[in-house]
Formats: sequence, structure tokens, C-alpha cells
Amino acid sequence: MSMTYLDNAATSFPKPEETYVFMDQFYRTHGVNPGRSGYDLCMETGQLVDDTRKLLARFFNGTDSDRLIFAYNSTDALNLALLGMLSSGDHAITTTVEHNSVLRPLYHLSQHAGVEVDHVPFDANGFVDPDALAARFKPTTRVVAVNHASNVIGTVQPIAEIGRRCREHGIRLVVDASQTAGKIPIDVQAMNVDVLAFTGHKSLMGPTGIGGLYVQEGVEIRQLRAGGTGVRSAQRAHLVEYPWRLEYGTPNVLGIAGLNAGLKWIEKTGLAAIDAHEMRLMRRLVDGLHEVPNVSLYCQDSLDNHIAVMAFNLDGFEAGNTGTILDVDHNIACRTGLHCAPMVHEQLGLDKIHGAVRFGIGPFNTDDDITAAIGAVGEIAAVRAKKMTRTRG
Amino acid sequence: MATIELNGRTYTVDENGFLQEPEIWNDDVARDFATTEGITDMTDEHWVLVRYLRDYYLKYGIAPMVRKLCKETGFRLAQVYDLFPSGPANGACKVAGLPKPTGCV
Repeated sequence: MSMTYLDNAATSFPKPEETYVFMDQFYRTHGVNPGRSGYDLCMETGQLVDDTRKLLARFFNGTDSDRLIFAYNSTDALNLALLGMLSSGDHAITTTVEHNSVLRPLYHLSQHAGVEVDHVPFDANGFVDPDALAARFKPTTRVVAVNHASNVIGTVQPIAEIGRRCREHGIRLVVDASQTAGKIPIDVQAMNVDVLAFTGHKSLMGPTGIGGLYVQEGVEIRQLRAGGTGVRSAQRAHLVEYPWRLEYGTPNVLGIAGLNAGLKWIEKTGLAAIDAHEMRLMRRLVDGLHEVPNVSLYCQDSLDNHIAVMAFNLDGFEAGNTGTILDVDHNIACRTGLHCAPMVHEQLGLDKIHGAVRFGIGPFNTDDDITAAIGAVGEIAAVRAKKMTRTRG
Repeated sequence: MATIELNGRTYTVDENGFLQEPEIWNDDVARDFATTEGITDMTDEHWVLVRYLRDYYLKYGIAPMVRKLCKETGFRLAQVYDLFPSGPANGACKVAGLPKPTGCV
């Protein structure tokens, strides 16, 4: 039995063949240190890094590719942004729908740097109300940090509306696009985003270990590290110009190559086509699971403004047990537990039952995968129901 | 160390109720611990799983991976949960007198 992979919210798998092939080919022929020397191969490798910056900046409708910063992943990028934008006495607002990539850096700042942090809850459908968020603004509010789409319930937040309110008050908006970059369009200008954090290994179809930030013109982030840049080596202090300001040491050339290939695959396939495919499967999955007795879905009543990520539980059965049976008996890969987003589960009351089961659909999932998932959950639910009947009897 | 009294006998257990004296384990001990799982009658199917876990533990010093448990015994995991409501780790291993598994079963 081949594996049904429904853990694309953790990382996309498989990647497009083009990603694997280009990474292998490029690293074999261009695995040198970019931007450090003037020989042709080094320049060509540096060109790929620059080309990928341009591709990504264009992909997010940024105006200056030098302000596209490479980092390890979203968590790394968000640490660069949040720790570099907030200081003692500042107030930051975030939401309960966040991943720990936002929650933990802000918690760290609240515990060790004198930053005050507020958490705005999401509504019954999983959305953050921009007015409720703006009601928390204070004279000391410097940053609002919001997840573009939840990695648990899949709801897409009204970023442009939140951004408009931030702009009106001179507050910077940092957006965690880990789940959306490569799934739905992102336009940092139209959405009033000041800093966008992305990861390469999810829907951008690159490998793990590569991600980054896009920093809008006029937004300044303090550098928190220092080191090699390959540029102006005699200078004692780390460079203040972007991208070097926020990049330290030899870049992840192999990761950037994979991201380059992933992006080109997305552009060739089309974001709209990817989203349409995934949401069609999502519709089938949600409708199918709705039909299974004793299955609880969370914030899935409507799929408007959703990505293809959803969470559920079988009533009275721990998510971890369901996930293990899906794996062992049905060869279905998914993620169970709190999904590094504890406040989502707390607000839904799922923390007390150790979280939920999450399915994340990717561009290579098929109707057969969805049929297998619905069938497997139905079978587990039926066995549980039979047992409950026996127990009661 | 905590103790638990089952069917009139007292056992030393860890904070999760797992037997701390593996050398005293026998079928009667298994039946006693089965009551903590709500099992009043150990069927042949229960014993197949318990004996496999016990033998594997005595041979390798750890609990088997859950896939291996299912493959070697022929049970689907859903059946294991049906027999031991707390599952292979917290239920079956406890009845088999194994220490609490840390990440295998």
C-alpha cells in the first residue's frame, strides 16, 4: 500500500521533479561560495542567488529585490524581524491563531526585553476582526504580527484590512506567510504588509533550510548578528545595507537553488490552478468527513477565505491515537497534537484533549488520496462506535 | 515510589501506573493490571498481544515499534485499541509488565 501524504502543512512532499533535478544539477556544477570571489563560476552562483531574490520579490510584488532577505525558515526570519523591530517599552499585538514562530519570539521579548504583548482572539469561524485588533492599539504599539493563514484551521486572515488600520496609526505589520506563500497570491503593497516572512519548504516547493523576509522600503530592522558578507571585508562593523544587513555568512546555495526551481514550477503551473486543485480536494474532504458520525471539524463551516488545511477529531478518541491508526493501518501521513500553535487549541478547548488531527493538502494530492482519507476516518469511527455500543451494552 | 492495590495484591508502580518490578510479572499480574484497562476477561487475543510484547521486551529490552507489533501479530492497530482502550503503549504494555515506552509502541 503506497503512502497517502496529507502532511503538506508541515512540509510539501513530494517536491516537483524540477526541484530535485535542478538542486542536484546546480550543486554539482555550481557548488561554490557566491559573492566571495571573481571567477566565473562564483559569479554564476551569485547570479542564481540574485535571480532568486528578484523572482521572490516579484512574486510578492515587492519593489526592491535587495530587500528580499534569505534566512533558514520562517521562524528564523520572524526572529530577525520581531527582535529587530521591538524594544523595551514597546507594545506588540498578535493573535491567538499564531504559530510558535510568532508566539515564542514575542514571549521572549515580553520576558527579557520589556515588550508588552497582547493576543487578539479569533472569532467563531477562525477569523481575526481587524477592528477588534485595532481596538488594542496604544501610543506605544509598534508592531502587529499576524499569521496570513492558520496552520491548524486554514483560515486566511484579512491582512489588507489589518494593514490599512496599521498604516493609519503608523504601526508596522509583520505577516507570517508560512502557509500561504505559494498557495494564494501575496501582494505586499496592496495588502499593506511592512515585513513578510516566508519559508521555502512548504508551498514554495523548495527544500527545508531556506526561507526569508521581504522588508518594505522605509522599514528598518536592527541587525542582531554580524559576520561575513563577502563585501567590504575591511569594514569593522556589519554592513547596514540590505540584503547584507540581515544576512550573515555563506548563504544556503543549495536551498536557494531548490527554491528557484520551486518558484519556477509554481509560475509555470499557476497559483490559481494550484489553489483551485487543492480547494476542490479540500471541499471533498470536508464534505466527506462531515458525513462521518462522531467527527468534529473546527472552523470549516465555510471554505471561503481558507487554504487546504483542516483539523478534526473523532469524539472521545485522542488525536494521537487516531493519527497512529491512520499511519499504521491505513498508511496515511498526517500530524496530530497542538501543531506548534497552542493558543488555537486553547481557544477551541482542544488543549485538554491533546489537540487535533490535521490534514494538509498539497498540489500532488489526488482524488484517490481524499477517498482513502475519508474511508480511513470512517472505518476508525465505525470501530469506535461499535466499541462504545458494546461498552454501553 | 507509588503503590497500587489490585485484586488484593499490592504492586510498586511509576507515576503512570506501570509495574516497577518486571521480575514478578506473571499471568495473574497481567490479569490484575488488565483491570486498570477495564478488562475483566483476558481473551486469547489479549494474550497474543501481551505475550508478544513480553517476549520482545525480554529479548531486546525495549518495546517494539507499533508497526512491528501489528505486522508480527497480524492485528490491525484499530483492533489493538479495541482490545486495550488506552492503546498499545499505555494499555497493552502496562498489562504486559513493561516499563512505560518512551516512543516505540
